[in-house]
Amino acid sequence: MLYRIERLLLDLACCAVIALGALITASVLLRVTLNSGIPDTIVMVRELMVVAIVLPLAAATTARAHIVVEFVSNRLPMRAQGMLVIFGGMFGLLALSPLLYAGWNETVHMITSGSYYFGQLNLPKWPGRVLFLIGMSFCWLRLLLLVIGDIRTLRAGGIPALSETTSSTFVEDEKDRA
Amino acid sequence: MDGTLIGLCAFAAVIGLLALRVPIAFALAGIGTIGTFVIFATRTGAFTPDRAVRPTTSLVFSNSFDLIHSYDLSMIPLFIALGHIAYRADITTRIYDAARVWLAKVPGGVAMASVVGCGGFSAITGSSIACASTMGRICAPEMLRMGYDKGLATASVAAGGTLGSLIPPSVLFIIYGIFTETSISSLFLAGVLPGLLSLAGFLLAIYIWVKSKPSAAPAYQGEITMQDKLNAAIGAWPAVALFGLIVGGIYGGFFTATEAAAICVAAACVIGFAQRKLTWRDLWDSLRETCIQTSSIFLIAAAAKIFVAFIALTGVASDIVTSVSDAQLSPVLLLAAIAVIYLILGMFLDPIGIMVLTLPLMVPLVESYGFNLIWFGVVVVKLLEIGLITPPVGLNVFVISNVVGKAVPIDKIFAGIWRFLAIDVVVLILLMSFPIISLLIPNSL
Repeated sequence: MLYRIERLLLDLACCAVIALGALITASVLLRVTLNSGIPDTIVMVRELMVVAIVLPLAAATTARAHIVVEFVSNRLPMRAQGMLVIFGGMFGLLALSPLLYAGWNETVHMITSGSYYFGQLNLPKWPGRVLFLIGMSFCWLRLLLLVIGDIRTLRAGGIPALSETTSSTFVEDEKDRA
Repeated sequence: MDGTLIGLCAFAAVIGLLALRVPIAFALAGIGTIGTFVIFATRTGAFTPDRAVRPTTSLVFSNSFDLIHSYDLSMIPLFIALGHIAYRADITTRIYDAARVWLAKVPGGVAMASVVGCGGFSAITGSSIACASTMGRICAPEMLRMGYDKGLATASVAAGGTLGSLIPPSVLFIIYGIFTETSISSLFLAGVLPGLLSLAGFLLAIYIWVKSKPSAAPAYQGEITMQDKLNAAIGAWPAVALFGLIVGGIYGGFFTATEAAAICVAAACVIGFAQRKLTWRDLWDSLRETCIQTSSIFLIAAAAKIFVAFIALTGVASDIVTSVSDAQLSPVLLLAAIAVIYLILGMFLDPIGIMVLTLPLMVPLVESYGFNLIWFGVVVVKLLEIGLITPPVGLNVFVISNVVGKAVPIDKIFAGIWRFLAIDVVVLILLMSFPIISLLIPNSL
């Protein structure tokens, strides 16, 4: 279930990249050809950036794509490396918690105050905050599940998967599933 | 508790956590948040945690959200997407194919073509590791098959891959631009000549290597006609056009770096589909890889913003600037010290990690000496590039090692790297001694 949600969030992020690219290209073309533009392009691109960056965080976590320094840990036995992976995940949960809490406060504040961006379209501010909260929440949840899974693996005598510095894991995994 | 002491403890804690394999983003965000909380909680002298929660969470949220909620930074996903799409549309590999045909009769021609291919790849993508990984898969096995010296076949691609950070577009320049608030367009233009200089240096290193030891690169036996050369050159037009669009568009003032990224992605898609090299499936896979890569880069950048805001609160940067000013270090000595610090860090840490960790301290320092931040950015990126091929943790060397597997031991690759490292050091000294090399193009705007 969580995997499907992550895939959906990742696909939404892909759509956001297409959309922001198309918006910028269209506004440049309109500026050059008709000396005109799309209203509030900058605001829309900024909101799309939240979708493009935050929604794939859970998928990036699944792919263990968060960059780590392996110089010291690679010299340790595999079991110790596994413990460090778990420690890294637990520290990640701790590090992301204030962001989740702050994201929740900010989202509630934006929805209740009805804030909007000054511009031709007066777009509301809350969608970006809601998407930020959704992306961070799923990232936190995935990290929690990874930590629990890694602890179980370690206790069963196995070694948790070590972090990958490549981004292709999720895509390759997708192909395997297909 | 003294702010400077808290700041220095925080740096030590981050380095300790990185050594314990904690992801860079989590280490920076965690320590930055805890440090900010401690600063706010002890501001009145007594420890009052209830007063620190609100300002800490508000600072943490605004720093991370504002970074992501940025129009200018949309160029990062777009340039990363451009790299993936151009690779899948066969645009990047055709530069290598063209260089291979044109340099076939030159001693060490395929190794030189690999470096030129890396330069061409770098002109479209912004990542050194992606460049080494992609070109390594294409070039290194071919050179090994042709009987090239194992060290030359692998080290040339590992070194060539580092061009990805210097030749625009470059993710490192974008991150540097965010943290120093300098113009990313100017940084891109400033990287062109140093990138070409590095490329020329690597070609020279290969030439000298093969001239001194001809058996390192067996001569090409086949026949190459002028028609072959023309066909190969024509085949490389999309890459040349995309690079021209990026640099020409920015230099000519037609559009900003962000707009250049969007237009080039659109152009690469049109070229890929028109030439039937790109499928919808390829496009979607490229975008998925782009999103995952981008989100992990941005998570680090957002965490670094939290950490930088905390460091600003501690006042440790201004204390260091004062200490260095009191020590009356000459500018040359300061630069030498900075270079040594970056080279040492580069031996162990990832380039983005080094940049976000050091810039909060380095930038106020170099600004106090009146150095140009655009020029300093080029020097920093060059230093980080050198770190990518320096033992024991030359990331590009490990990438190439993964590509070639057991065919070439890692020691052999490092043994071949020193010639390129020597060239890199010469280029670095030139860049430091003659800032005009970096500033010529941006200043002529």
